[in-house]
Amino acid sequence: MTRENKQDWSRQNDLVKKADSRRNLASWALSAPALFWLIVFFLVPYLIVVIYSFLTPDIYDVKFEFSLDAYRQAFNSAYLNTFLQSFKLAFLTTLLCLLFGFPVAYFIARAKDKTKNALLVFIIIPFWTNLIIRIFSWRIFLAYNGVLNDVLMNIGLISQPLEIMRTDLAVMLVMVYVYLPYMILPLYSVLEKLDFTLLHAAMDLGANDVKAFFHITLPLSVEGIFAGSLLVFIPSLGAYLIPQLVGNQKTLYLGQVITYKIKNIPRNWPMASALSLTLLLFVALLLFLGYMLYKHQKSRRIA
Amino acid sequence: MEEIRIEHLSKDFDGFTAVDDVSLAINSGELFSFLGPSGCGKTTLLRMIAGFEIPRSGKILIGNTDITDIPSYKRQVNTIFQNYSLFPHMTVYDNVAFGLRIRKTPKAEIRDRVREMLALVKMEDQASKYPDQISGGQKQRIAIARALINKPKVLLLDEPLAALDLKLRQHMLIELMNIHDAVGITFIYVTHDQGEAMSISDRVAVMNHGKIVQSGPPDDIYERPISIFSAYFIGETNLITGEVIGIEEEYVQLKCSDGKDGFFEIDSTFHFPPVIGKELTVSLRPEKIAITRSKPRVQDDINMLRGTIEDILYLGTHTQYIVRVGALKFRVFSQHKRVYFDEKALDWEESVWLFWHDTDTWLIDEIPDKVLSAKEISDDGANQYQRSVKRPMPI
Repeated sequence: MTRENKQDWSRQNDLVKKADSRRNLASWALSAPALFWLIVFFLVPYLIVVIYSFLTPDIYDVKFEFSLDAYRQAFNSAYLNTFLQSFKLAFLTTLLCLLFGFPVAYFIARAKDKTKNALLVFIIIPFWTNLIIRIFSWRIFLAYNGVLNDVLMNIGLISQPLEIMRTDLAVMLVMVYVYLPYMILPLYSVLEKLDFTLLHAAMDLGANDVKAFFHITLPLSVEGIFAGSLLVFIPSLGAYLIPQLVGNQKTLYLGQVITYKIKNIPRNWPMASALSLTLLLFVALLLFLGYMLYKHQKSRRIA
Repeated sequence: MEEIRIEHLSKDFDGFTAVDDVSLAINSGELFSFLGPSGCGKTTLLRMIAGFEIPRSGKILIGNTDITDIPSYKRQVNTIFQNYSLFPHMTVYDNVAFGLRIRKTPKAEIRDRVREMLALVKMEDQASKYPDQISGGQKQRIAIARALINKPKVLLLDEPLAALDLKLRQHMLIELMNIHDAVGITFIYVTHDQGEAMSISDRVAVMNHGKIVQSGPPDDIYERPISIFSAYFIGETNLITGEVIGIEEEYVQLKCSDGKDGFFEIDSTFHFPPVIGKELTVSLRPEKIAITRSKPRVQDDINMLRGTIEDILYLGTHTQYIVRVGALKFRVFSQHKRVYFDEKALDWEESVWLFWHDTDTWLIDEIPDKVLSAKEISDDGANQYQRSVKRPMPI
């Protein structure tokens, strides 16, 4: 390389660097509003929660004295049971959504284009109505002298109204109803891209429908299953509204416990903060594990 | 090894008949092609043999076994799909091993047979790659290995080379032939590319509108087409209509209109009993016609015509002349051999002689206006017909 060439290079490098820094500045400027929003309404409130979780409770608010009591209590058996209840609810909701959602997503993905769009609209329509209104409709539907019992008694299937409202079953039912679309949509998006001639290829090679499903369709829709499960599982863990409105008040879920700690006197804000943070860490851990699993899978493919 | 018999097979899609009462026998070990324009029913026929489509009526037999109602996963038939359809979440090795694993073959045997198959298609060193990491030609080989490992009685190939570029296509074609020779099973090959079908096949079936128009060895179909469709679809040809005016022992005389007021006479050999006064079509391949500036020596078995060069297309291996005779246009291919003629090159609007041997005129017992409206024919003679045939057939 001659000297002029070298100079030329270094000058070009400088130019590139300048352009880079300008681009950097521009991208910071453009993301500033979003960053501001996240810092003020997300990071700062969470910091407050973190600080509160290490304070001492008072009847109405907190005393500014450092204490680890909240965490100590959070891991005691009563709360662990609540965690377990919430986990069970979230897990079952996810599983049921997957079981019901998969065939629906599959069916929509294989439908003709026109039908497809109509069916997708049907999946999305519930979002047009406010969640609370939808839950209240379920209350009316499931109530002791509600629509369901009325119909069942009129056609003579039962003689006594069923006690569905205010049971764990009702909670499960409404949870699946509310979260099903969140499972169907990501599943649909992977199944829609799935090349169905691969199923023909599998059958051509000797796989019957069941084997073709487990060897081809299922592994190729893993990303959709994963995304859908996250979208259902995470909000289900902290479910408050649904257990509060249709559940019995004997089985308490984490979301309800946290709310009570904030609302009911004597208040225990550090406890509520500690429980929230534990939940957050738990979800983060799950996400991290999922991410590692995904990365592992990817790296195996590249290696 | 058993032959495949297709008996009166039909298939409809929403009222459209894709395959219409097709019967044929494919010998064991044969490389048999279905050739036709898109929508002619060739792929549907193949998918019925594979078991992906259920025929409306008819039977498919391998040897003496009726496989019509056997589901695809139980047939001893494997398919190479147009886009290979390799499983993207499996390595090359797992793709090839798939069929054996599904049948619960012992692990050691799987390993040996996969290795053997990968060797056959020269892909031993790519076993751990994923389909999106290998090239189109390599995918093609893996698709072949994945199918052949199951030791099928028949291998179906659905436009297997359509996704490859020209050079690779020629290369894979030879490789396919070698693999066919190596494994010795029946190959059924579907293509719309006549070059592929001609070069690779033992026999070809030309299809149109769900029916087999003609089947036979490639040279038979090219040299002796029995219908205007097969004459036109395979290669290029000049189609002229004429009326039988004389029958000799070895040839007939035809009187052909030049599309204006003039007439010319052609002698032709014949392969079906001609009838005086009947209108027929003559198929005359462009490469069989010689073109010169000076008048050739008159001979008994030579046809001669005088025309004017309307267009010259230089195509590398040969030049295509469009020669006007009355309102008709003849295509003539002339190879660049200077040993025969030392004259200077022919030019536009030059008056030339066309001549060819009687045996190179091929009679077809059809006339184009059976298919086309009289107007199209009279507008531009046979060439108009040619163009209208070239349009893809309606699906």
